[in-house]
Amino acid sequence: MTTSTNLPGHPQVPNLAEVPGSILGRESAVTKVLLRRSAAARRARYSTVKIWVGAICAGVVVIPVVLAGVLPLPDPIVGALSESSLPPFSAGHLLGTDPNGRDLLSRILHGGQTSLVIGFLAIFVSGLFGIVAGAAAGYFGGWVDTIISRLLEAQMALPLLLMLLLVVALFGPSIPVITLVIAFAQWPEPARITRALVLVEREKPYVAAARVLGLPKFSILSRHVVPNILQQVLVVVLLLLAQAVLLESALSFLGAGVQRPYPTWGGIISDGRELFVTGKPWLVTVPGLAIALLVVGVNLVGDGLRDRVRRAKGDQT
Amino acid sequence: MLKYVLKRVGQTILTAFLAVATVFVLLRMAPGDPAANYAPPNPSSEQLEAIRQQFGLDQPVPVQFWTFLQHLFQGDVGTSFFFKRPALDVVLERLPYTITLAVAAIIVTSAVAIPLGVWMARRSNTAPELGANIGTIAGQSMPDFWIGFVLLILFAVNLHWFAPSGFDSAASIILPTVTIAILQIALISRLVRREMVVNLASPYLTVARSRGVSERALTWRYAFSNAALPVVTALGTRFAAMLNGVVIVEVVFNWPGVGELVVNALKQRDFPLIQATVLVTVVLALVVQLLVDLLYPLMDPRVRLGEASS
Repeated sequence: MTTSTNLPGHPQVPNLAEVPGSILGRESAVTKVLLRRSAAARRARYSTVKIWVGAICAGVVVIPVVLAGVLPLPDPIVGALSESSLPPFSAGHLLGTDPNGRDLLSRILHGGQTSLVIGFLAIFVSGLFGIVAGAAAGYFGGWVDTIISRLLEAQMALPLLLMLLLVVALFGPSIPVITLVIAFAQWPEPARITRALVLVEREKPYVAAARVLGLPKFSILSRHVVPNILQQVLVVVLLLLAQAVLLESALSFLGAGVQRPYPTWGGIISDGRELFVTGKPWLVTVPGLAIALLVVGVNLVGDGLRDRVRRAKGDQT
Repeated sequence: MLKYVLKRVGQTILTAFLAVATVFVLLRMAPGDPAANYAPPNPSSEQLEAIRQQFGLDQPVPVQFWTFLQHLFQGDVGTSFFFKRPALDVVLERLPYTITLAVAAIIVTSAVAIPLGVWMARRSNTAPELGANIGTIAGQSMPDFWIGFVLLILFAVNLHWFAPSGFDSAASIILPTVTIAILQIALISRLVRREMVVNLASPYLTVARSRGVSERALTWRYAFSNAALPVVTALGTRFAAMLNGVVIVEVVFNWPGVGELVVNALKQRDFPLIQATVLVTVVLALVVQLLVDLLYPLMDPRVRLGEASS
């Protein structure tokens, strides 16, 4: 009852050479193993591209920011009113000036110092706290795990930005308050991933061996388990730097940042906000570009590194 | 199943209580006199005292909290210092705007992110996919207020396609929606890609392919229906987060939603209004989250069976 090419009772067999994506369609001696290996090589190449592009993007922002004090820049806080609202590429002001005559490039670079210091401090605090809490939860289990997991869940449910705004509004926008607030927002991420990794790691034979040798629990955890997972966790912490910079700029945009006249990225954009309608869009676009470039860079480096660490651990995705 | 539902509902109520209590304690711990905000300029100490008594600010904090809870169960969160009206009413008036924005954003996000993510998974590790991959990283790296401004400069100031801010017509929703969606599309499409790559490489797909199932069916009916579960969960979580987290976009576009309201309330130290906003948005976000969690067993038989056996 079927066509002559098919045996009765058998479904129509598609020509495998025409099935896209089918390895059987290739007329070569390429085996599945070789294909997988070439895909791995391509992934490796792409992760290298990501890391380099990311490093260049971040470097373009970070290096001038770090050197801001050394570079021959005009004062970021006091400007000359005679030079107010110059467009970019004016003489002496590469990126132009704001209505107070303050040099935009200088403000962006000095503001970047504040933003980066807050960012690095925040990820240091949140990374440290997250790793300690996550490792303890994963390794000891029991009530320690219950308490830390509940805390993580409860924080997920809170309206985070609102809470952060509230705390900064109430306790004043000083650098320690802003740093701690960002660290508080970020500790769940490293904690969660550390906990998950430790849960896998503690079942491995070397941990059992260390236990048999009579090492105390704490030193097994801190000297054997944590160093093995640290690389993966640090990539996540590096990615948090991007989030920290974004969060800091968001807070200062909403007026909960380091106070005027000290520039921060979000603050500069917020100041430029009322003015861009009157035809000075560079006061908003240029500082935003600096943030975006840095964050893209950090994210790309982090993503590339993550691909690499995953591959080293034999993950096929 | 009933036990699971009851447990989740209980957790939700507890979390809502915790959130409100945290805000209450924070507000009362803070330096600064709220009565001064309500008083006329340069108030006398008698005037301040009268205001404190009127709003119960002279009581100890635990007493204030107890009074607050009692009123809460009667649906009364207090009177806004600034609007001089019940705070809950003020918040509920603004809520539809925030919900509209969140719904629009989540629709746009789903419509773009899912096909994009599936495409990226199918073209995994090719040059166009690397481009899209870097594009999504860029999408999640730009500050949302900055995207908003750039869109405003382009489409409202230069091209005059839209009114620059506020809510005048149905078209006003487009720019804020796009602003929110850009970040969400970047996040969700990466999740879709990750889930799809795993499913496309799994053995059951090879079996199905060997049986002659078409590539389209393999992608959507086989791989995607397995990848859909974490994606729907993530969309639900993002939506819940939007209900209390579109503050920045609302401020940029002067969108008359809850976020814009609370930023002003913070500036004016309008305690009852802040409490009402937190209460309403937290409860709303928790309810959405709860619904997503309760949908989970309906969508995935494995979860249902797991619940039954445990």
